[in-house]
Amino acid sequence: MAEPVTVSDNKHKSQVNSGASYSGNGRSSAAAAERSSGGSGSSSGAGAAGGGLSGGLTQPAGWQSLLSFTILFLAWLAGFSSRLFAVIRFESIIHEFDPWFNYRSTHYLSSNGFYEFLNWFDERAWYPLGRIVGGTVYPGLMVTAGLIHYVLNLLHITVHIRDVCVFLAPVFSGLTSISTFLLTRELWNQGAGLLAACFIAIVPGYISRSVAGSFDNEGIAIFALQFTFYLWVKSVKSGSVFWAIGCCLSYFYMVSAWGGYVFIINLIPLHVFVLLLMQRFSRRVYIAYSTFFIIGLVLSMQVPFVGFQPIRTSEHMAAAGVFVLLQVYAFLQYLKDRLTRQEFQTLFFLGVSLAAGVVFLSVIYLTYTGYIAPWSGRFYSLWDTAYAKIHIPIIASVSEHQPTTWVSFFFDLHILVCTFPAGLWFCIKNINDERVFVALYAISAVYFAGVMVRLMLTLTPVVCMLSAVAFSCVFEHYLGDDMKRQSPPAEDSSDEDDRKNAGNLYDKAGKVRKHVSEQEKAEEGLGPNVKSIVTMLMLMLLMMFAVHCTWVTSNAYSSPSVVLASYNHDGSRNILDDFREAYYWLRQNTEEHARVMSWWDYGYQIAGMANRTTLVDNNTWNNSHIALVGKAMSSNETAAYDIMRSLDVDYVLIIFGGVIGYSGDDINKFLWMVRIAEGEHPRDIRESDYFTPQGEFRVDKAGSPTLLNCLMYKMSYYRFGEMQLDFRTPPGFDRTRNAEIGNKDIKLKHLEEAFTSEHWLVRIYKVKKQENRDRVEHKLRSSNANKQKYTSKKTSKRKRGYIRNKLSLKKGKKLQKKFL
Amino acid sequence: MMEWTSKRSVIRMNGDKFRRFVKAPPRNYSVVIMFTALQPQRQCGVCRQADEEFQVLANSWRYSSAFTNKVFFASVDFDEGSDVFQMLNMNSAPTFLHFPSKGKPRRSDTYELQVRGFAAEQLARWVADRTDVQIRVIRPPNYAGPLLLGFLLAVIGGLAYLRRNNLEFLFNKNCWAFSALCFVLIMTSGQMWNHIRGPPYAHKNPSTGQVSYIHGSSQAQFVAETHIVLLFNAAVTMGIVLLCEAATSDIDIGKRKIMCVAGMVLVMLFFSWLLSIFRAKYHGYPYSFLIN
Repeated sequence: MAEPVTVSDNKHKSQVNSGASYSGNGRSSAAAAERSSGGSGSSSGAGAAGGGLSGGLTQPAGWQSLLSFTILFLAWLAGFSSRLFAVIRFESIIHEFDPWFNYRSTHYLSSNGFYEFLNWFDERAWYPLGRIVGGTVYPGLMVTAGLIHYVLNLLHITVHIRDVCVFLAPVFSGLTSISTFLLTRELWNQGAGLLAACFIAIVPGYISRSVAGSFDNEGIAIFALQFTFYLWVKSVKSGSVFWAIGCCLSYFYMVSAWGGYVFIINLIPLHVFVLLLMQRFSRRVYIAYSTFFIIGLVLSMQVPFVGFQPIRTSEHMAAAGVFVLLQVYAFLQYLKDRLTRQEFQTLFFLGVSLAAGVVFLSVIYLTYTGYIAPWSGRFYSLWDTAYAKIHIPIIASVSEHQPTTWVSFFFDLHILVCTFPAGLWFCIKNINDERVFVALYAISAVYFAGVMVRLMLTLTPVVCMLSAVAFSCVFEHYLGDDMKRQSPPAEDSSDEDDRKNAGNLYDKAGKVRKHVSEQEKAEEGLGPNVKSIVTMLMLMLLMMFAVHCTWVTSNAYSSPSVVLASYNHDGSRNILDDFREAYYWLRQNTEEHARVMSWWDYGYQIAGMANRTTLVDNNTWNNSHIALVGKAMSSNETAAYDIMRSLDVDYVLIIFGGVIGYSGDDINKFLWMVRIAEGEHPRDIRESDYFTPQGEFRVDKAGSPTLLNCLMYKMSYYRFGEMQLDFRTPPGFDRTRNAEIGNKDIKLKHLEEAFTSEHWLVRIYKVKKQENRDRVEHKLRSSNANKQKYTSKKTSKRKRGYIRNKLSLKKGKKLQKKFL
Repeated sequence: MMEWTSKRSVIRMNGDKFRRFVKAPPRNYSVVIMFTALQPQRQCGVCRQADEEFQVLANSWRYSSAFTNKVFFASVDFDEGSDVFQMLNMNSAPTFLHFPSKGKPRRSDTYELQVRGFAAEQLARWVADRTDVQIRVIRPPNYAGPLLLGFLLAVIGGLAYLRRNNLEFLFNKNCWAFSALCFVLIMTSGQMWNHIRGPPYAHKNPSTGQVSYIHGSSQAQFVAETHIVLLFNAAVTMGIVLLCEAATSDIDIGKRKIMCVAGMVLVMLFFSWLLSIFRAKYHGYPYSFLIN
């Protein structure tokens, strides 16, 4: 959502501001780099100190845990502080669009209590329909924030609920890095775990959704995702019900927090299924999955928004199918002891394939008869990538639902995108139960991230883990000295032993120099020179990664988009606070139950900041309602007035960027309004009408007349033709589209301008009430008859039906003879 | 004309018929005519594609339940009715024209081929626009895809059956790891974007003749560019793997040193190259490494 806007902003910023921001942030980035290298045990300071002291200490384990604790703490700190750019530059405010709704409902929750919140019917949204908020929202985020607020207030630490909301995501990023550490430690070793924790603390792909102020589901959901996966891996490894129950609870938290839980409920069954295929079935898997499926199912159905979906929709059927399959498999395994080998083999294949067939057919049957809903459009569009574009323009219109270019992969992951395939390679080469899981996770997540920019978020954790594995492999071999390799050659060739005493990572670091004298012994190794060069280069890459992350965070992901900033040539900053100005105006100057029509992007903000009723908002559940608003915006004024009257609209709010060159305004989004309206009202709105005959979308004189007279155009450019921004450009020059507008003399009949913000960014129009007496458009029929009657007295010749030579009698004269 | 349509959904017309059924004024139907040149010696590839789409449209109209005599679809081939072409002052094919039942054809009765393309769906919308007849385009299902898939599966199954004694390759980790890597690299280099958006392979500047493989903006990409990125990513990955192999494998030290250095060079060179491409695309990005 933010990308197209912020990127255009950044071009400004980067030239002037990078220096300043860099020095301000240099500390944290350098620290992060040091730490990430420290994670691998190479940080020379820590290593040397450790080496010096551990000579006396006989417990390397203690040092190890202390070090990991410190590193995790610092990773948390670095992750937290690098998310604070927006708060420092602007102030502690909620960002963007969706967070405003979350904030509003959290506010409601904290002031009215949990049960009131669950029963909340919001009559301020989707006028005249309203919205049952409690039943249509994932409450995890609000409950978390509300709980923190409650606990803090209980301890007499009085903070405003807004501050809790603003800082929730950065705090949770620390928890995410800890759970990533735990998960990676289960998969590979502790060193890789620490590296992964450092990576995820600062990687832009995750920061993009968790900067301070971005109070959104994803902020806490990634933590829940990673933690669920950790507990799942743990329960598969141990086969204990305890860990499986923990996994279920964490899954429950995830379900209550984010719709992305569907990823978990499909990935874990996939893992089990692949384990079955690989003949890695074991009691541990059986116990873990059976527990997880049943308890997870029951728990997930407790969330009101999810309800009966887990047993009624196709997205969840894979889990049920695998569950049945697993039971059949286990039963046949049990029979194995009772039967001869030959009998068993036939029975086995028959049984398994029969079970699979029955499951598959019953799912199809149930779908067909309507017990199970088929795949919803959003999920379907992930598989059939052209689906949304044709059938659901509202999904296709959101910029974060676009496919991902390689640039955004690189932008969000930098070096990790090149190294994580290496980690995947190592994982598959040394496969075991839990590495199957991470490989499947990587492959599915990378597919989804390729289809949708937004799902980069689910890819980021696994990329961090696998890259950490790759880096840790390299460091493991290049940081240790050659002595070890030489003395027990057999032991060294297998990685397993090395991994077990991970202590050597920390103790031996920094000692490379000391062993120069033993170079001749190290003939078999690669030699300290090569090793130190490789180490240096790797550290350099990590340093570049840290610097890149900081730059990206500062420039691309730290804009609140509620407040804009522009930079002058001398580096001074202008704050454009038009949005809040306009919303505050609405709040103060309009009647409390006034209904404001705007495009759906601004629905949540109007509700959150201006506290006014909206027609459509970012929860795009009702396509036809949105299409109606789109139709109003794209029809001419009279037709729009009818629609607006039928919807009881009092004010219309639009975003217009032509004055300051803001590219995310309504005219640029306009074609989507037309498309969405066309989907529902194909007879009244046609997209082709808004293009020039050459197929261009232009706002200048060459633009199509339909466009130049539609309501959106009129409202955007009302009185803009009088305004000359610059001496070099003509009046009415639109800076966003670099064109002189085509219709400068705009008259509005049913609307009147109510408010325009300082930089014209937000314009609000009042819809006039219908007049008491219909004002007649045309002039009253001219009273010709009267006039003629009057004039006819004087000049009878103008009388209608005058006959030229008609006899007219006049008294006292005798002219008749002459005529005759 | 109903009779003809019942035989063929697109009526073929020559000059004579055209004058009689389309030009002669009292009509209670409108006609959509495609002017085309289908003869092989004309070498009009676009005409053939357009013709297919037109046939699809006409067929869906012909066999739909709402079929009436309000609209007819016809085509005039240049070699059969060149006089019609002269009469209408036309010099390009294919062209779609709509002849309404009343009045003269207006400007909007000519289909804007350049703008809207000749997909049957677009044509149907245009026809609906002009004649108020809604046609739901029903394409004959394309059997090629499933057939090919079935064939492929059969071949794989057959091979597996023939070689059922040594199915070792299924247990070969290298094989699996390699295919997983391929998939990951394909995805991270933005091939999915190419698949959905269909960009050109590279851009040739018409004035200078220079071919640019890298798109100038960070919002778009060329196919060539993604291939380059794929290779670079693969090279860095391979470099890392080589570095690790060099440290762990059992071959003699000289080879291992070479492996190590090669890995290092691969990582450094290709990563900095990648960074420089990224820098060229993402304007204002301040960092670079080795290669500017």
